[in-house]
This record gives sequence, C-alpha cells and structure tokens, in this order.
Amino acid sequence: MTGFLAVIGARTSELGVQALVVPATFLVVALALHVFLVAVGFRGDQLLLPLALGLTAIGLVAVQRLAPSVLLVQQLTWTIVAAGAFAAAILIPRDLSALARFKYTWAILGLGLLLSPLLPGIGREINGARIWIQVGPANFQPAEAVKVLLVVFFAAYLEEHRELLAQTQRRIGPLPIPPAPYLIPILLMWALAMGVMVLQKDLGATLLFFGIFLAMLYLATGRPAYSFIGLAMLVAGGFVAAQVFAHVNARIVSWLDPFAEELRFGPAYQLVQGLFAFANGGLFGAGLGAGMPERIPVVWSDFVFAAFAEEVGFAGALALLALYLVFVFRGMSIALRAPTPFLQLLAAGLSFIVALQALVIVGGNAKLIPLTGVTLPFLSYGGSSLVTNFVIVALLLRVSDISARIRGS
Amino acid sequence: MTSPPIGLNIRRLTLLIALAFLATSVGVGYWTLDVAGLQGDPYDPRLYATLRDRPRGTILAANGTELARSERGPNGYVRRYADRSLAQVVGHASLTYGASGIEAAYAESLIGQDAADPVSQWRARYLGEATEPARVQTAIVPAVQRAAAAALRGRRGAIVVLDPKTGAVIASVSQPDYDAARVGDPATEEEAWRQVTENADRPLLDRARQGLYPPGSIFKIVTAAAALESGVDPKAKVRVDHPFRADPSWGNYSVKSVTGAHGDFDMNTAFVRSENIYFAKLALQIGADRLEEYAARFGIGATPRCELPAARGQLSISGDLDRPILVADTAFGQGELLVSPLQMALVAATIARGGSLPTPHYGTAVLAPSGDPLRLVEPGAAAQVVSPETAITIGTALVAAVNAPGAFAAGARIPGVIVAGKTGTAETPSGAPHGWFVGFAPAQDAVAVVAVVIENSPKGGEDAAPVGAAVLRAALGR
Repeated sequence: MTGFLAVIGARTSELGVQALVVPATFLVVALALHVFLVAVGFRGDQLLLPLALGLTAIGLVAVQRLAPSVLLVQQLTWTIVAAGAFAAAILIPRDLSALARFKYTWAILGLGLLLSPLLPGIGREINGARIWIQVGPANFQPAEAVKVLLVVFFAAYLEEHRELLAQTQRRIGPLPIPPAPYLIPILLMWALAMGVMVLQKDLGATLLFFGIFLAMLYLATGRPAYSFIGLAMLVAGGFVAAQVFAHVNARIVSWLDPFAEELRFGPAYQLVQGLFAFANGGLFGAGLGAGMPERIPVVWSDFVFAAFAEEVGFAGALALLALYLVFVFRGMSIALRAPTPFLQLLAAGLSFIVALQALVIVGGNAKLIPLTGVTLPFLSYGGSSLVTNFVIVALLLRVSDISARIRGS
Repeated sequence: MTSPPIGLNIRRLTLLIALAFLATSVGVGYWTLDVAGLQGDPYDPRLYATLRDRPRGTILAANGTELARSERGPNGYVRRYADRSLAQVVGHASLTYGASGIEAAYAESLIGQDAADPVSQWRARYLGEATEPARVQTAIVPAVQRAAAAALRGRRGAIVVLDPKTGAVIASVSQPDYDAARVGDPATEEEAWRQVTENADRPLLDRARQGLYPPGSIFKIVTAAAALESGVDPKAKVRVDHPFRADPSWGNYSVKSVTGAHGDFDMNTAFVRSENIYFAKLALQIGADRLEEYAARFGIGATPRCELPAARGQLSISGDLDRPILVADTAFGQGELLVSPLQMALVAATIARGGSLPTPHYGTAVLAPSGDPLRLVEPGAAAQVVSPETAITIGTALVAAVNAPGAFAAGARIPGVIVAGKTGTAETPSGAPHGWFVGFAPAQDAVAVVAVVIENSPKGGEDAAPVGAAVLRAALGR
C-alpha cells in the first residue's frame, strides 16, 4: 500500500525540498490512518482505505497540476481534516445500528443543512448556485453532508417499512401505486429535488439526492417500477424546468449542441474546451503536465476528469474508472455481508453515492448527460466533498468490521 | 409473507452500476480516441498554444511573397500580416478566440503537423518534439489583390477574382477589413476582439464568400442558361410591354422594365438593356422546375466546396419557386434570392470555361521547410453543368452587354481587350441598391473572372462595372 502511494506521491515531486512537502505530508497522513486502524483493532475490509487514499493522491496531483498553488495548500489541509473526520467516524458512535433510532433527527438535520444556504447572513451564492454557507473563514457545501444523512435516514426508514410489501397492490390502469409509506416519501423527495433545482440552482444535487433515494427505494422493495415512476417524474420535472428556468435551459441546450456558434464562446465554453481536452488525449495521453487542460475554466473542480483524460489518455481514464468501480464493488460486497437490513441498506446506499457521483460528473464531462456541478469523489478540489467521502469510507469500514467480528466469533 | 432478500437487490443494482460504467467508458473512449474528429478544429486552442513560443508557418502568395509570418518580439513570437486587405482570407490566429481564414483551414500544417506527414504528428504527440512548421502557398496574386483593394477603397462590399482554369482565388477583398495582427497578439487581443465583434459592419465577415446579397440582373445568366437548355431560341423575339402582369391573379403586382420598354427583344438585346420583362417571360415559359434545376446546377443555394467556410445562400425561403410571381422575380435576380460574390464568380467562371463549374480553393500547396511540396491542394473536379454551346451563346451576349452601343455595362470596357460581363442593381430593403458586376477577360480565353458587389451604392451596377474593369486590367497586366 505504501509503495503504491509513494509512486503516486512521487509524481507530484519536482526538484527541491518544497515540492516534497505535499507528498510527504500525504504519506504521513496515510501511514497515520493505517496505524490508527491497527491500534483500534480494526478487522474489516483491507482494500477500501488504500483505494480512497490512492484516489486522493491522484486528486492532489491533479490540483497541483491544474489549480493555483493556494488551492493545493487548502486541499492538503482538507485532506488532514478529512483524515480526522475519518478517525472520528470510526470511533463514534460506538454502536452503528443505534443510528437507526434517531432517523427523524437525521432527516430534520439534513433538511436544515440543505436549506441553510438560503438563510441570509451565512448563505453564499457562488457561480450562480446558492449552495454554500460561510462559517468563519471556511466555505462549506452543506449538501455534501446531507447526502450521508439522507442515506442513514432512508436506510432506517425503509427497513422499518419493508413488511408493507406483503400488502396487496393497488393499481391505476397498468401503473402500480406504491403503498402510502412509499408514495409519500417519493412525492416529498421529488418536491425537495425540484426545490433544490429551482431555489438553489444546483442541478447536480437534484440529481444526486433523487438518484440516491430511488436506488435505496429499489434496494429495500425490490420493485424497479417504483424507481422508474420516480425517474419519470424527475425527467418530466426537468423538462418543465428547462422551459421555465433559464439556468436549466442553458444546461440543456449546451448539452445538445455545444458547438453551436452562439454557445461555444458562451454557456458551452467549458464543455467544448473539455471535449477538446479529451480529443487531445488519444490512447495514452499527452503525458502528465504536457496537455493543455488549463484552457478549461475552473478545470480543477468540475473538469478534473477531462483534464486527467487529456494527460493520461483513454488508457489512464479507463484505469481511473476501474478504481471507482473496484471501490463500489468493495462497498457493495460489504453491504452483501452486513448482518442486518439497516446495515445492508446503509452500506449499499453509501457505495451508491460514490458510484452515482462518478458517473454523473464523468458523463457530464463527456457530453453523455447534461453537465451538472458534481465533484469527482476524492479527486476534485473541494473540502466538504473530501471530508464527506472519507466519512463514507469510515462508515463502510465499520459495517465490514461488524460483519467480520460476527463471523470471527 | 417475508420480504425479499436485500442481497439480490444489491447484486442487481451493482450490475446496473457496472453497466453504467461500461457505457460511460465507451463515451469517454469516443471523445479521447477522437471519433468525432475534433482534433484540428479551428477553435481548439491547442493549435495556437505554441503561438508565442515558436514561429508558425509562413503563408505565401502565388509569387512567393510572404502574406503572414511570425516575428520574434519582446514577449515571444507575434504574427505579422503583409496586406490588411487580405484580413479575412489569411485570417487571424488567437489562443483565446481561435482562428479564421487560412490560419484556421491550414492550422495543423502551420504548426508542423500536416496530415500528409503523420510522422510529424506522432512526434509532436508522443515525444513532444516540434517539427518545423510547414508553409502554405496560396494562389493570391499581389498585384491583382492591390488593384482590387484600391478599386473598392472606402466602400462597403467585396471583390473576388478567380482563375477560371483552376478555380483558384487570385484576389479577394472584403470591406471593411480589420487588423488581424491585433486580434492575434495576446497584448491587444481582448480590446481588438471587442472592437471587431461590436462593429455593426461586421469586419470579421468575409463578404466575398460569407456575405449574402440579392444578385439582381447578374442572375439573368442562370435564367438564360436554363432557357437555352430548355430549347428557347436566343434569336426569337419576345414582346416586352412595361409594366408586365402575367394574368389578373397578380393583382397590383407587375414586373417593371428598367427602361420602360415597349418592343421586341432577343436574348442579346435583353442582356444589353438588362430587360427584366424578357427574362421573367422566359422563366414563366420554361417553368419553375427548369429554373430551380439550373440554379441548383450552378450551385445557387448550396455551400461551395471550399477549404474555407463559405455561405450557402438560398434560391428562395422555402427552397422552391412555388408561385408564378416568385418565378418571374427570381428570373431577374430578385424575389427571395440570396447569393455570395464567390457563388456568382463561379457562375461567371462556368460561362468563361465552356460550361463546367470549377471548385474554388485558396491554397495551392503545403510546402515542407525544405521548400519541397509536402502536398498539393487538390480541388475537386469541375462538373459540366451546361453545354459548351450554351456557354458560348451566353458568353457572346455578355460581350454585347459590355461592348454594344448603349450597353449598361459599358463602364467595364478595357481598350484592346474584349471583356464579357453583366451589371446588376439589386433592390434591397436596407436602403440604396447593391451594385454588382460579374465578368471575365479576355472573352475568348479568360485568364480572370471577377465578381464585385458594392453595398448600398447609389448608381448600382454602373458603380460596380468600372471597379470590375480595374481589377481585370490588373489581372491582364495592363
């Protein structure tokens, strides 16, 4: 594991002591986490943390390559904070299953966090999206933490109501009507997602929240029809929003024909520059540092993947996607082995967050779906995202630890 | 009944995720392996990335004069352009705003990665080695270019001169022009770009190939060709009575004779006196389908095949001539017609070379640093669109249109040379009519074809004819 990290760390280094500070700090953090897990007697999955750290290291390389140097220091600082959050989530709460008991607390907390950017005073609008809060010197994107809280809440709520599946189904024509305990949350979540899209102008969060909900609804019920109904509602809502709201419309038209004369220097500039970056990548890429991804505006947050693909090519991009897929497979296999439905839903939901985010932003970069501002997990510049993702890793490891202990005893 | 196991659902969801990753990988492969062919797109900043670090290839005129070259300045290389009247043809190259003209069409050659030399592309790509840039040779003849620029000076409009034998552009002017060097220089690009894009006269537009205008009477060449090939006898007299109303369904609408004529016209006199009613009657006689077919054969309403972007124009808004009044009006170049000067120069070139439509092109060769040609620019083959007899009949009428007593295009005469040509005065909603002249010389064996358009010119074609003559004289070396 250390060797793997060292290779990645070494790529950041240039001649001179200062350039070694970042990889050295990172290696110390990685080793500290490893020692910490040994010290607390951790017995769970051995691959997930190295994967996460590896992706984080690639992210640091990317930030150093692409972003102003002040952001690199910030990202390194956030990595240390994320490691702290990871350690904390490993230790508390002592009983993971107890999380289920306070499910409505998590729901209300999540909702509050989600709405907090709309509050005057602490709410901040950056780049047209009102999704930030400022506390002291730091900016947070509360939506990042909300994802985890939502997964915990859904896992608990859906576990409680699973028995209802035994009920007879009501139907309107060919459409199955979900029983009230499913129907009401579907409608509420849809309203929430639409609200996020309209009030906070955050299409990425809309897609993530609703996507996570639909996936967990399927996991708990095993009825894809419910999720398809929800998906159809999302698409319909998005379609209407595209007609009514300029910021949604701009995303859609930029996606359909970014090379149109009136768009390529305007709303679609970022996407077009990203596609040029891809095209320059070829099979093996231009080589690290040899591409020109800096022509993409704010490349270090939304377009890390396109930049990465330019410099390491299709082969490197596939390898990166494979790392995410292995991460998700490990997460899902932890979910499979978990002893209770709550823990199963929790682990699967958390893994799904990472999968969906990677798919949504890579798909957006590659013009497969409309571009939305979602971070590439572990890689994109962004503190709230990094901290949240390490908490996800910690929670997954805890589930695997519980399974291992049950099997071992 | 117990709930179904969650484990099965987890497996299925994981399979779905794996499939989504697979689909995404295919999408990423589509772009990284550049299936869409984005590399070499004129807006890709990578083509201009080395703009300041090393020289771009030189762009040459037909005689070897440098039209564009890179010069070392205090902040790295900057582009210098020899002739501002070629601004839209040679174009600009900016890291921020992309490139235009030859700078864009030959962008890969100019950074030493010509498609004819794949080794240079691989070296640049995988070894980071820069091959010395290739030079692009154009067909531009500086003397003709200077004459064209001088003849149009101070007026909005365009001139394009073709070598009818090859279809090569030997001169091209579009006024107003702009300072391409300032747009390409990082120190001035922002200000310069703002100025050229905010200018209501649109100096970035190459009016010669991208400007669209109603053609007016010069379009009678196309109408005459359609009529001749439909069996109309050019010597047959057609009765003209001003104003002309085909039938009562036209209501108050009528076709007007410029001279208010009452009399019998054959094709020659109709060209000499630019008689609208004669051509309107001819078009109504042969029918909309024939006129549509021959307009299409001459490339009206179609994008010219050319390495620089050229406008398409239209025969009519719907693409068809679906009502008699539109057929009549189109016959003398009004109605809903829109053409570019390049398209009309190609029409005249077709008459000049016995009925075959050449393929226009600006570049003639890409030269390796050694000076040897890396590749020759191969324009597409010419297509025979009308018979040689038709071309000769119309060519004769165009000689009369310039040289007969009382000819409207008399301003295009050149002592000692027989000029063939036609003026046009195109009505436009935007104010005074556009003045046109298309012509070629010597009529028997043309060495140059010219199309002139002067926007909102008070005397229309009468203003354009001497401009055309001045340009032809330069092309003939007189």
